[in-house]
Amino acid sequence: MTFYVIRRVFIGILLLVFMSAAFFALTRITPGPPFSTGENPRAHQELITRRLHNLGLDKPWYQQYPAYLNALVHGSLGDSYVNDQPVSKLLMERVPNSVLLLGVSLIVSLLIAIPLGVFAATHQYSKLDTTTSVMSYVGISVPAFVLGIFLLIAGAVWLRHLTGGSFYFPLFGMHTNAATTDLGDLAWHMVLPVTSLSILSIAGFSRFMRASMLEVLHQDYVRTAKAKGLPARAVNYKHALRNAILPIVTLVALQTPQFVSGAIITEGIFSWPGMGLLAFQAALDRDYPVILGVVMLTAALTVLFNLFADIAYAVVDPRIRY
Amino acid sequence: MADQPLKEGRPPSTSGYTSVLGGAKVAGALNAEGVLRRQAASEDLVVAELAEPSEVGFWRLAVARFLHHRAATASLVILVFIIVTAVIVPVFQRDLYRIQDYTHPYGAPFQFHSRVVALPAGLSIPIPWSDHLFGTDGLGSDEMARLIRGGRVSLTVGLLAMLGYIIIGGVLGALAGYYGGWIDNALMRMTDVIIAMPFILVVIAVTAAFGGVSLTVLVVVIALLGWFEIGRLMRAQFLVLRESEFVQAARALGASDFRIIFRHIIPNSLAPIIVSATLGVSGIILLEAALGFLGLSIPPPEPSWGNMLSTYEEDVLRGTAYLIAFPATALVITALCINLVGDGIRDALDPRQR
Repeated sequence: MTFYVIRRVFIGILLLVFMSAAFFALTRITPGPPFSTGENPRAHQELITRRLHNLGLDKPWYQQYPAYLNALVHGSLGDSYVNDQPVSKLLMERVPNSVLLLGVSLIVSLLIAIPLGVFAATHQYSKLDTTTSVMSYVGISVPAFVLGIFLLIAGAVWLRHLTGGSFYFPLFGMHTNAATTDLGDLAWHMVLPVTSLSILSIAGFSRFMRASMLEVLHQDYVRTAKAKGLPARAVNYKHALRNAILPIVTLVALQTPQFVSGAIITEGIFSWPGMGLLAFQAALDRDYPVILGVVMLTAALTVLFNLFADIAYAVVDPRIRY
Repeated sequence: MADQPLKEGRPPSTSGYTSVLGGAKVAGALNAEGVLRRQAASEDLVVAELAEPSEVGFWRLAVARFLHHRAATASLVILVFIIVTAVIVPVFQRDLYRIQDYTHPYGAPFQFHSRVVALPAGLSIPIPWSDHLFGTDGLGSDEMARLIRGGRVSLTVGLLAMLGYIIIGGVLGALAGYYGGWIDNALMRMTDVIIAMPFILVVIAVTAAFGGVSLTVLVVVIALLGWFEIGRLMRAQFLVLRESEFVQAARALGASDFRIIFRHIIPNSLAPIIVSATLGVSGIILLEAALGFLGLSIPPPEPSWGNMLSTYEEDVLRGTAYLIAFPATALVITALCINLVGDGIRDALDPRQR
């Protein structure tokens, strides 16, 4: 076991190094250097060339990469090209916002999706089951931005018209203004983006939960429990649910690292100052260190959570040996 | 044959799968004698059917099963309609999608007036007519022409990028699964790397770097970054089928690798690939729309469903939500139909998985 963990950590580190090289190369070999977009017509070409030279961007990528890797090993992600702030500082500012938004919507969607999926499975082919299936089908086919725009129009424009301007949800950001930092205001601003994100994941999770529950319900031990005369409630919720919920726990655990890369579209629509917006803006500005920072952070957490999941499996299920 | 009447009463739908496993063994036993054969047949209906291979082939059965799935069939019809419209209508409309009529901006949709149509016999009748059935946008362009033209872009990207997935993922997955060794290791590590990256962010970073995005760039970028799912699936199929008895038999008979791969393994590995590819197309269409929405797809004036949404989002506060409603609806309906068709194909190809 110890040997296995050490080997996995080692492989994980190698993977991250290789990935940083791949992504580093990818940003460098795509056409168009930084400082060429949104260019200031009055900026001298000479100035731009000097800036590129100072940052070492005039060299081929394989000559730039060792310096980046060296800094990375020493715990530095470099400075943003746009405002010269350390990338780690920018990330630390944005990560909590994204985790808050995505975490709350994950909890909300699980609280709705799991009971829904369980009910649909235990009452297969009932009206609610059919409705859930149809809705989740539509749900997985609706893109995030369509839903986001719709909620924006419905919650902030139509509602305002209907109530004569007295009741509506805010459109932008996390706070009404810099002075209002209380929780109520924050929660009020979270309603629309959380709804938007939750609806999308409820569709996926409830489908998954239903399938998982149905599979367990058809197993022999459930039939045995029923045959012994246990009430349906005990069979469904004590015997079946516990096993059916395991795959969804894994699914959630493996999705969690994606939290730090934020939700680009939803954050964009509701101007939520999270990682998604940061990364999107960085991509438009070709702010390589920031993009690399977001990608590396997400990748590192993905590798870590995968390792956790595998170890947790071995702990929970004694049949698994490494 | 004697057992003919026995066979006729059975629906053809169950025969496809059961016969593969037990077929050879049972058939061998039955070759002994006519009497024995009849006895065996009357004892067991399945045996009777196995001895006589079904005349209906696997694909015919699959089509029959698919048509039995009503939602999937309806979706396929709608999808064919969407594709045919997107392919044919722009040919007749030519430049209509970019003709701007500044005198009629923000024309409301579904406005009819009566128009007199001359019939050949000297008759003329008035019929309801609409110049711009879906209204016009802020520049007075016909929304319907833009919608249809945009659908062309979305579908083209979806199908071409999926073709790219299948070519890259299929070839690499097949090589890795069949030969194993370092090719397999390299592929698996490569997919680990790609999976660890946030996909949409990488696509955005790369397309943003290209500045003015063209259809080619979009398709190439998506294909290069998204093939690994098909690749893994193909690898898994090859790993299993490589060790299967019929492949070993072919190898023992001296078949070349080429023949084994193309003649024996690929036809048997197609089912999950087809399903995954179908479902993948809707994913790509939604991705293209997301990129368009972020301004990183085909640049205007060429419309795509994604960039129409981003252009018209600015008009929402004017009360012209219909401009967004059309591309959004088209997108959702297309994705939904593709997903339903994909599920239908899955059920049709593998009845055990229901």
